Amino acid sequence: MTLRDLTPWRQGRRRAYSSPFNALRDEMNSLFEDFFRNFDLEPFAERSRMFTPLVDVSESEKEITVSAELPGLEEKDIDISITKDALTVKGEKKDEREEKNGGRYHAERFYGAFARTIPLPAEIDRDAVKATYEKGVLTIRLPKTAAIEKESKKVKVLTG
Amino acid sequence: MADAVKEMEKREAEAPAGGTERTRAARVFNATVDIIEKNDHIVVIADMPGVDENSVDVTVEKNVLSIYGRVEAGVPEGSKPVYSEYSLGDYQRDFTLADEVDREKIKATVKNGVLRLILPKAESARTRRIEVKAE
Repeated sequence: MTLRDLTPWRQGRRRAYSSPFNALRDEMNSLFEDFFRNFDLEPFAERSRMFTPLVDVSESEKEITVSAELPGLEEKDIDISITKDALTVKGEKKDEREEKNGGRYHAERFYGAFARTIPLPAEIDRDAVKATYEKGVLTIRLPKTAAIEKESKKVKVLTG
Repeated sequence: MADAVKEMEKREAEAPAGGTERTRAARVFNATVDIIEKNDHIVVIADMPGVDENSVDVTVEKNVLSIYGRVEAGVPEGSKPVYSEYSLGDYQRDFTLADEVDREKIKATVKNGVLRLILPKAESARTRRIEVKAE
């Protein structure tokens, strides 16, 4: 027995007809691979029909502004909810089906449902949140709580 | 999730042909479009978030239809960006028109950041149905 026999990744071509243990190992490997491949994709197959709006987040001392590009929606199609430290934007971009029927079609735009959760960097005053939808861009202004504003204190650096 | 975001990324438009430079210091993206051909007209729908009727130009020169949308919005004053996925920039897209499009009757509307162009086909180019009669 040489060292080569103990290192399975070096057995190369011999593997196919070597020991049944190697065959079992290969079988197990492929089983695991298949399992995880399915695990990853199947439950989320729906996702391919969804789209993810792009968001920008900016921050000033007083507020956090989240903006999302959502062309072609109506105000009523957008659903915004806030938890303690995250903001969720949900909605559905409707497909103009009646136009699609009959006629050749070239499609690049995205349709369907979307949901996006954005973690918020600081505590915000949930009652004072304002959202506007203009020109296909959703802008959400989240004022920070007074307490947080006060909390950010400067720390002096002292010499020895 | 990363893949989904990637897919939505805007594609930057190519620099204008002939070695010319742009005169605005903004990035320019290709607007994503849907094109639907109907019997008597063609509909072009372009996503241009941040563009309204005052900031979009639709021009026809020879047989090229160009759309250009300017985006003025930016980061609110006093704020600094902490996370950014979509880059701000203008939108552009050029289309070569077939002879069948009646250039005089092109209509354009903008709603909620979506530009919709209706390109009517010339009378001579419409598909006609010829009735076949039995002898």
